[in-house]
Amino acid sequence: MSTVMKTTRDVKGVGLSIPRPDGPEKVTGKVQYVADIQPKGLLHAQLLRSPHAHARIKRIDTSRAKELAGVRAVLTAADMPYLKKKAPTRAHAVLAIDRVVFAGQPVAAVAADELAIAEEALDLIDVEYEVLAAAVDPLESMKPGAPPVAEAGTEADTSEAQAHGSVSGVAAVAKPAKAVNISQQTTLARGDVAKGLAESDVVIEKTYRVPMVHQGYLEPHAVLAQWDTTGQLTLWASTQGSFNTRSEVADVLEIAENRIKVIPVECGGGFGGKIRALCEPVTAELARVTGRPVRYVMTRREELVAGMPAPQVIIKLKTGVQRDGTLMALDGEIIIESGAFSGAVLAVGAVFLASLYKWPAFEVRGFEVLTHKPSIAAYRAPVAPHTIYAIDSHMDQIADAIGQDPVAFRLRHVEREGEPMANNQPWASNAAYEVLERLAQHPSWKKRDEWKKSAPAGRLRGTGLSLGGWLGGLQPTSATVRLNPDGSLSVLTGQVDIAGTNIALAQIAATAYGVDIDRVKITTGDTDVAPMTGLSAGSKTVYTVGTAVLQAAQDARRQTLEIAAKELEAAVQDLEIEDGKVVVRGVPDKGVTIASIGKKGNLYMSKVPPVLGVANPAFTQQAPAFAGQLARIELDPDTGEVTLHEFVVAQDVGKAINPLACEGQMQGGAVQSLGIALTEGLMYDDKGRLMNPSLLDYRKLTAADLPNIECIIVEKPSPAGPFGARGVGEPPIVPAPAAIANAIEDAAGVRLTELPMTPERIALAIAAR
Amino acid sequence: MRRFELVTPGSVDDCLSALKGRGVEVKVLAGGTDLIAQLKVGMLKVAAVVDLSGVAELRVLEGDARRGFRIGAAVTARTLERDAKLRAALPSLSESGALVGSIQIRNLATLGGNICNAAPSADMAPPLLALDAEAVIAGAGGRRRVPMASFFKGVRQTVLGPDELLVEFAVPATGPKSGGAYLRHTPRRELDIAVVGVASQVSLADGVCTKVRIALAAVAPVPVRATAAEQALEGQPLTSQAIARAADLAVEAARPISDQRGSAEFRRHLVRILTRRTLTIALERATA
Ligand SMILES: Cc1cc2nc3c(=O)[nH]c(=O)nc-3n(C[C@H](O)[C@H](O)[C@H](O)COP(=O)(O)OP(=O)(O)OC[C@H]3O[C@@H](n4cnc5c(N)ncnc54)[C@H](O)[C@@H]3O)c2cc1C
Repeated sequence: MSTVMKTTRDVKGVGLSIPRPDGPEKVTGKVQYVADIQPKGLLHAQLLRSPHAHARIKRIDTSRAKELAGVRAVLTAADMPYLKKKAPTRAHAVLAIDRVVFAGQPVAAVAADELAIAEEALDLIDVEYEVLAAAVDPLESMKPGAPPVAEAGTEADTSEAQAHGSVSGVAAVAKPAKAVNISQQTTLARGDVAKGLAESDVVIEKTYRVPMVHQGYLEPHAVLAQWDTTGQLTLWASTQGSFNTRSEVADVLEIAENRIKVIPVECGGGFGGKIRALCEPVTAELARVTGRPVRYVMTRREELVAGMPAPQVIIKLKTGVQRDGTLMALDGEIIIESGAFSGAVLAVGAVFLASLYKWPAFEVRGFEVLTHKPSIAAYRAPVAPHTIYAIDSHMDQIADAIGQDPVAFRLRHVEREGEPMANNQPWASNAAYEVLERLAQHPSWKKRDEWKKSAPAGRLRGTGLSLGGWLGGLQPTSATVRLNPDGSLSVLTGQVDIAGTNIALAQIAATAYGVDIDRVKITTGDTDVAPMTGLSAGSKTVYTVGTAVLQAAQDARRQTLEIAAKELEAAVQDLEIEDGKVVVRGVPDKGVTIASIGKKGNLYMSKVPPVLGVANPAFTQQAPAFAGQLARIELDPDTGEVTLHEFVVAQDVGKAINPLACEGQMQGGAVQSLGIALTEGLMYDDKGRLMNPSLLDYRKLTAADLPNIECIIVEKPSPAGPFGARGVGEPPIVPAPAAIANAIEDAAGVRLTELPMTPERIALAIAAR
Repeated sequence: MRRFELVTPGSVDDCLSALKGRGVEVKVLAGGTDLIAQLKVGMLKVAAVVDLSGVAELRVLEGDARRGFRIGAAVTARTLERDAKLRAALPSLSESGALVGSIQIRNLATLGGNICNAAPSADMAPPLLALDAEAVIAGAGGRRRVPMASFFKGVRQTVLGPDELLVEFAVPATGPKSGGAYLRHTPRRELDIAVVGVASQVSLADGVCTKVRIALAAVAPVPVRATAAEQALEGQPLTSQAIARAADLAVEAARPISDQRGSAEFRRHLVRILTRRTLTIALERATA
């Protein structure tokens, strides 16, 4: 995966709008994904999945499958003695041991010469199940006596919270003894909530629900595994973090990390769903026992049935305010259903619920609940869309109840830099206030009364907005910048480019070193060659890897100038890089080309060292980033159909390294946010089986459902990010559910507290009005 | 997808011999937009697939409003959408084709496939019912004609025997003052399956309704006619009150279930709304 950047403009880098160079290749199908790689002797894998959400496996007989011509291996848990019963994560639960805990859990794996043969082999595996009662509804599952999901004594997995959670200083509380399926529990509180509510004039209490949703990356999970004769494993992976994949696979297979090489193949999207290992360990095992390269590509149905979706979240929210709009108290309960394995991020929700606005007294209780459903993973700003849906729906209702302007009400109460978040850390510099202000100045907000009155006969029109964001992730990382003999630069990281970030990194390197961007080539290396690099997640790629690249480029520049200083007999501080040359400031004809410096770094008998900039920063300072979204809608009150007429995203990006890429993120995030708001939701029957396992019934929005999405870039520089940049990826997926709910209430006077806000829910709410 | 034998006949007779005696282990493939999806997920397992793409006879499309139409089983949704004569004469059928899937799907999906797949939600079924169409079926003993109203037997079940092939549809003339419309509700604008679909066909003479057909999709195991609503309208001027009353009566013909696409309650609600709307459009078209 490497890209040479091109630009026709005579500028150096940061701030330029540069289209993704890989765009044309992607839309014309030329890019090679894992599914396209065809090594000699390739075998195809298939997994037999449990039809039951909870069952004891009494017997598995694979003998008929093994006899089918073309089948090379059939595995069950019994063939993998290192698998543990108390699997802490999905990655460890490679194949079910004795008991299946969600419908779709793999119980056996097949490798065969052809995909069709592998599928036919699945039909020949006989499994005898004893079906057990399943915990399907999280509220039931929380109660004592619910069918237990995890084996007794399984540790809660908090690594997701560490990778993605971004909230420190929150201690987990011990869970109640008999509630076997409560796997994590936290409480954040300040002040006297009971007193605050008692002294309030207006108390509003609502329960908000957001179902499990799937990230919907275009490329399903896929991996190709091959062992060499010396026992080294190579994985061609579709992952958001090759070093992370390596660690998890090494842990499951119990082999040293440096025996595994993860090659990050072009990743067709992840959005949080490709952070954790899923099908890599079992594919590696199939490759080991067959001695052949084995590829496994999940189908879309398998993705929906047994991927790692975002959790269902149920938020009970009660707030009290005084008539004049003074906030008094907030009481909240966040229930996160994480499926069969623990791994939810609990504290983020509490922070957004209780401290986006200045509640003087609050208590937020968070519970992670296990159920017999596929375990969850991150999805772009995990739990933030859910929490903002609750609090920002609530803020509109409060403003309405006390007769105040919803924006002025929010602006009055939004927390500012330095004020304490719910976990008592001060809010870092951010532009929540400014973003909201910008949105309030938008003509579509100012003219919302006209819009409402302009509805044609039989239709209703409304406008709504919401504010949401992300706290910003951090992870140590590293990068190198090398000067080549022709004066071009090679930047190396292990960063998987899932969002066009490699362009931004090249722009940063170009500007920091002092060359034009088309002199920079950036490569994503595999885990054998790349310096240690973090995940492409948590809106932190440009913020952290960008910093590493910035520092490495500065280091390379310093080395270049030092070499030039000797040659030119000048002081380093008098030197400048201009048009590919190191020149002495004020002495235009005194200079040396950077190509000649690069050349001497690779010349036989040369005394000039090669220029190699290196940086390996770790980070402490987060950069929260906020987006505000505004929706102008029309609805058909009879059918409940919503037409989006306009959608506006205003977002603080700190510094737009590549404005075009920022807008791409803002629009893409908005589309996902609108899907969560309007149509998406995994639906389970009372036995825990997925009722909508296809993209016909699991509805992502299509282009036909969407208006043009207007982007307003706000730039309030972050104190520590490269050139002031902040994370851009996550904020735009957060606000739409609340913005749409607020617009629906504006149009039709009904308040929808459950996502997705389908035509059915809207029409029936209006009919019941 | 599991392995199967692919047969590529060039005529209806070749098709029939390929099907003969093999029962359910062989299936014909028209556009494949239902069949392939069912084979992929293992819902269907077959030994052989008979590809109809080489059988030109199945793509016949001829006729007009005066004579009626012959529409081959393998005519695509895209053709129903775009054929100017058909669109003018049979707007409800054309609209039902235009709604299916995406352009890519419509280029493959056929009328015969939609009907033989016999999903309760099949979009092209209500218009055919409302147009009093007949299916022309070829079998070992020659050809037979079955009115659409008795073609469907249950969810994914039809009168077709395993050795039979649907060849074409015969759509009778609609007459001079006749108009039709098809509407469906889906949560998403495109690429979706009807929660409810309603086709109405109205014929007028001297300001009164001489004949009306209302057919509903996705509210019963098979597409159904709302006969009580039809009877209430026949012989009456189509006032908005009469239409509203017929829409209420149409709800009684629906026996919906609740599933992942919608609740029974919402489906009944939609039958009322869509019946009213399709009758109104059909009336406009009949008077135009
Ligand atoms: C993404 C997508 C979107 C869709 N959207 C819609 C939609 O909006 N509305 C809708 O109604 N459907 C929709 N469908 C379903 C499908 O496209 C339609 O039902 C289509 O008309 C089926 O036609 P086909 O030619 O592809 O049928 P095939 O898949 O080829 O066949 C369907 C069935 O009919 C049988 N069959 C086909 N032709 C004959 C014949 N001549 N004689 C006897 N048996 C025959 C086949 O054996 C098979 O059982 C959608 C499908 C997909 C994949």
